[in-house]
Amino acid sequence: MAAAAAAALSGGDFSDLREIKKQLLSVAERSRERGLQHSGKWASELAFALDPLPLSELPPPPALTEEDARDLDAYTLAKSYFDLKEYDRAAYFLRGCKSQKAYFLYMYSRYLSGEKKKDDETVDSLGPLEKGQVKNEALRELRVELSKKHKARELDGFGLYLYGVVLRKLDLVKEAIDIFVEAAHVLPLHWGAWLELCNLITDKEMLKFLSLPDTWMKEFFLAHIYTELQLIEEALQKYQSLIDAGFSKSTYIISQIAVAYHNIRDIDKALSIFNELRKQDPYRIENMDTFSNLLYVRSMKPELSYLAHNLCEIDKYRVETCCVIGNYYSLRSQHEKAALYFQRALKLNPRYLGAWTLMGHEYMEMKNTSAAIQAYRHAIEVNKRDYRAWYGLGQTYEILKMPFYCLYYYRRAHQLRPNDSRMLVALGECYEKLNQLVEAKKCYWRAYAVGDVEKMALVKLAKLHEQLNESEQAAQCYIKYIQDIYSCGEIVEHLEVSTAFRYLAQYYFKCKLWDEASACAQKCCAFNDTREEGKALLRQILQLRNQGETSSAEIAAPFFLPASLSANNTPTRRVSPLNLSSVTP
Amino acid sequence: MQERRPRVSAGRQRRSRGGPRESRYFDSRRAEKRGASCGARQRLLRGCWPGLAALKCINNSVTENSDIYNPPRSPITGRTDEMCIKEQGPDMPLSRLRKAIEESCPHLAGSVHIRLKLMAEGELKDMEQFFDDLSDSFTGTEPEVHKTSVVGLFLRHMILAYNKLSFSQVYKLYTALQQYFQNDEKKDGIDESDMELTNTEDLEGKMEKEELDAPLSREEEISCSGPLSQKQAEYFLSQQASLLKNDETKALTPASLQKELNNLLKFNPDFAEAHYLSYLNNLRVQDVFSSTHSLLHYFDRLILTGAESKSNGDEGYGRSLRYAALNLAALHCRFGHYQQAELALQEAIRIAQESNDHVCLQHCLSWLYILEQKIFDSCVLLEHSVNKSLHFGLPYLASLGIQSLVQQRAFAGKAANKLMDALKDSDLLHWKHSLSELIDISIAQKTAIWRLYGRSTMALQQAQTLLSMNSLEAVNVGVQQNNTESFAVVLCHLAELHAEQGYFAAASEILKHLKERFPPNSQHAQLWMLFDQKIQFERAMNDGRYHIADSLVAGITALNSIEGVYRKALVLKAQNQMSEAHKLLQKLLIHCQKIKNTEMVISVLLSIAELYWRSSCHTIALPVLLQALALSREYSLQYLASETVLNLAFSQLILGIPEQALNILHMAIEPVLAHGAVLDKGCAMFLVAKCQVASAASYTPQKKVEGSMKKSSHCLYLIPKLRTANQPLESAILNLNEAKTYFAKVDCKEQLRDVLYFQARLFHTLGKTQERNKCAMLFRQLHQELPAHGVPLINAFK
Repeated sequence: MAAAAAAALSGGDFSDLREIKKQLLSVAERSRERGLQHSGKWASELAFALDPLPLSELPPPPALTEEDARDLDAYTLAKSYFDLKEYDRAAYFLRGCKSQKAYFLYMYSRYLSGEKKKDDETVDSLGPLEKGQVKNEALRELRVELSKKHKARELDGFGLYLYGVVLRKLDLVKEAIDIFVEAAHVLPLHWGAWLELCNLITDKEMLKFLSLPDTWMKEFFLAHIYTELQLIEEALQKYQSLIDAGFSKSTYIISQIAVAYHNIRDIDKALSIFNELRKQDPYRIENMDTFSNLLYVRSMKPELSYLAHNLCEIDKYRVETCCVIGNYYSLRSQHEKAALYFQRALKLNPRYLGAWTLMGHEYMEMKNTSAAIQAYRHAIEVNKRDYRAWYGLGQTYEILKMPFYCLYYYRRAHQLRPNDSRMLVALGECYEKLNQLVEAKKCYWRAYAVGDVEKMALVKLAKLHEQLNESEQAAQCYIKYIQDIYSCGEIVEHLEVSTAFRYLAQYYFKCKLWDEASACAQKCCAFNDTREEGKALLRQILQLRNQGETSSAEIAAPFFLPASLSANNTPTRRVSPLNLSSVTP
Repeated sequence: MQERRPRVSAGRQRRSRGGPRESRYFDSRRAEKRGASCGARQRLLRGCWPGLAALKCINNSVTENSDIYNPPRSPITGRTDEMCIKEQGPDMPLSRLRKAIEESCPHLAGSVHIRLKLMAEGELKDMEQFFDDLSDSFTGTEPEVHKTSVVGLFLRHMILAYNKLSFSQVYKLYTALQQYFQNDEKKDGIDESDMELTNTEDLEGKMEKEELDAPLSREEEISCSGPLSQKQAEYFLSQQASLLKNDETKALTPASLQKELNNLLKFNPDFAEAHYLSYLNNLRVQDVFSSTHSLLHYFDRLILTGAESKSNGDEGYGRSLRYAALNLAALHCRFGHYQQAELALQEAIRIAQESNDHVCLQHCLSWLYILEQKIFDSCVLLEHSVNKSLHFGLPYLASLGIQSLVQQRAFAGKAANKLMDALKDSDLLHWKHSLSELIDISIAQKTAIWRLYGRSTMALQQAQTLLSMNSLEAVNVGVQQNNTESFAVVLCHLAELHAEQGYFAAASEILKHLKERFPPNSQHAQLWMLFDQKIQFERAMNDGRYHIADSLVAGITALNSIEGVYRKALVLKAQNQMSEAHKLLQKLLIHCQKIKNTEMVISVLLSIAELYWRSSCHTIALPVLLQALALSREYSLQYLASETVLNLAFSQLILGIPEQALNILHMAIEPVLAHGAVLDKGCAMFLVAKCQVASAASYTPQKKVEGSMKKSSHCLYLIPKLRTANQPLESAILNLNEAKTYFAKVDCKEQLRDVLYFQARLFHTLGKTQERNKCAMLFRQLHQELPAHGVPLINAFK
């Protein structure tokens, strides 16, 4: 094991893929020996993405030590009990075993037995107040024993990992992080330790202060945690470099990239990657809930229905499946059924965050605000950083016509996603309702500055300016809005474009800039609702022009870039920190 | 009280039948519910365990000594009831339970313990046997327990619950019992040998283990280690909440209470009330972020329960929505975010209006008043509020409104008798509805109003009334309500009154008590802090230690800016920095006139006048003084009025019309001697003596006698005996003696020195050399101690 650690290539060095493959294969084997299925799976998946090794280079089975040989019988017996989920029995036969492998299995079966009992207890007495009071009784003993071993430096990488897990379960987060870092140092190939670390690190600062082993595994870890921390750009970069290094076939990486694109709401890219993923791994269930979310957002009913049927066939008692089906029903506007499926997903895994939030959305659709609030609150309890739940709560209260009350929730959401324009627009709307126009303006402007997804912030800002009789700023905003709409080249009909042109036409008219005014008025004529006004304005312009000088040359000025305005008033896109005057608890 | 137990248990079960809220939606609805109620039952059993054993033993003993059982209400059953009551708290450790039993029934304790020990150290069948035996107690020709008695009902309830348990649950119950018993034994072990348990581990291991084992420190009285049942948790919360309201010092410390709550919430996130308590707790430490978070969380949870409890869904949670917004407004107001509070309040009002909730609207209105008060005078709003509240039958709000109104009117100088009448009327209302909190407030308010009017004896009497009154609350809950704002106000006034009379030790004693009762981080602590500093300031000023007074100014300014500026001016004045003081006072005057703080306006006017006469501009001082006099008369601030008169008399004295001065002095001297502070009494007497001497000097002996005779008919106390020509001087000496005693009481060495000087001169005039020499010696002593006076002696009145 020490040899494996030493042989691990240093960070970012993927030159020797064969070596990596060897390491992966051996660690997969060793994880399986210890009953760590998930780590084994991960390693094998990754190994599968690399080219097969010739027979001569296959890693030899790990050499047995004297101790291993002594414990071999007990281990073999216990492992089969372990595989059959008879944890207590396995532990009984393993007691007194000295070899690392057997000892790990011994401790691990005790841990799992405690967890299993805990789950059973939960079912046995699920009173309203006893919920969560049942705890894994074995944890404390395990901790004492493991800490002794740890002091004596007798734990190998797997043992450290288990120690960390025990600590985490006891809510000793700081100690747990230290142990996981140590585990990663001792055995960098064990993905489980890295994954646990991912769950415990809550922000970038924490990440900075960790001293991590410099191996190629670190790249995977960093990419993963960047995704978790919503640092999507960095994550995508990492994954791209991993693909370039030769992991292009890894379904794990593909799925992570898809999730990352989903997180930054690059829907088309995410969709295409997911489709690719499904082609490569048609029976995959993991991450399919994310896929279904994307399909839902794009209202792709047939695809979603196909996905739902397919997953249902594969395994209908999986959280992801329930979630997909819930989305499917939701898209069909059968919200009761959708809620039912989300409930089922939660039944299968009460800590499955997404379902609470989605259920909240369903209740919102059903106009059951109180149940929605409850669902969102649950989501927040599971994960305080779930911005969608905060946003949902805000929306609920907004629907209940409590704009001041919902400010708090939107602010929380905004804190979690400072660069998401949706929260900012929502905040702005609330401030607008509260007649705090200065704050509202700040919000809209910032929403535009961070890149408005729905392209509504500018219009709203313009309208605010209009309301405040700041016609110049209003015109600027409309101009920018039109620029935005046209520059992104979408032919999607925007309702507000006509409003923008109408305002601009009138604005130029007032400023006596006839050419611009007539250009805008002509644009107005292209829209149904402003056609008449546009024509009237054109007539007026013509009249006034004839009255004045008869300008012969009709300059085809670019209508949305009048030199007088664009030259000095172009707002910088620099984002200053949002300073809302009110107290932000 | 004695019927409480069974009802409580029944409630426990009923509540739990509903099961976890979400179970409604699940497929396996029925299984879920069954599971839930089983769990509850089990908890019920566990919660009652020790009590049950005790009861059983009591029953046994009852049968053993059947002769005491004969009377219908035997002492034993009485004790049983007592025990039932005692058992209503959270699970107590065995040792404490044993103590509780010993207290009420000593010979039972042993048998209870043995019974428990037998069960805990035996096997499962011992427990089963126990329950089997239990059901036997109802049978027989002469049953030990009657089926419908309190104990009987309780026991039957228990047996029923036990019989419904599944096997694994029974086993769990048994292990819980064993653990309960063993924990106690373990604890004993620790107490005895301290290391017995932990000797297998090294020291650090022990420490770690302890921090795991004991999330609660041992000294905490009420700790809910381990799982709590619903009722126990509720009891814990209500107890803590009422302690927070009534006697904060007895409640858990903020940190440990938060820990408890977090613990509770970790296990039962649905337990909304805990969030509210956490909100209250966060308010204690002025944590705006966490308290907002807790408050909103509470209402998020409540909204759902509200919807469920009422069948007409919308009304159910609509109500809590309104109150959520209102509470948010209150929170912001508490933290001084008035703009935010107003927005939240507007929201609450809007929602309440939309749903025609008049009661809520009334609450909003009174909050609106509080908010508007910060901005402008809002009597109209208040009157509306009172009228409407009476109409909707909200006595609390109505009399709160009346009290606010009285306060405002008092500041506005409305007729005192009307105000007192209004207070009396609202008092009637309080007693009728037994609103003890408002009674307290009313008395505190009366104290404050009497002080405002300068009637210190009346104020003293009211303050003592409140302090020695038995609160109604005491009858109801058993908690003395004594950390409300009214108590703080009354105690502060009391301290100041004592300090004024020169009883500094008593005052500091009172302040010490205040400190204990209202710890520095609590809501009303600022009150006593201000008063404490004010008293210290006065003392420092009296002693002439101006640098100390100056250092106190910063503290006072932090708590009350106007007061602080005023005090700063006083210090400057005392340090003879006249122009700075004058500038400051003028600014303050304008500000106070703007915010209509009449009391302060008059004080400032007086100080300005003093500045004038110190610079020997008595003619300028006079109109200022007259203005002050007019104001204080208008607002019936008697104390300030008489002080103004003293100043006026002094100016007249200096201007050379001592008879006139004596004439107006007799108006002021009476209230000053009756209600004034000791210092003012001394000053008044000193001034009288000066006037006497001055007038004696300016008259011919013939006139002197006549004049004095005339005066003596008015004010005998000024000039007790008038026989000879020197008699005015002698009476002046007597008055000076009185002044001296007053000054000595408050340690005013400077004034004392002046008095001595004056007295020595008088003795000299009268030719009493011995007395003169004595005074002169005393004067010399003091003069050496003190720095030279900036103002000529004769010109100083204060």
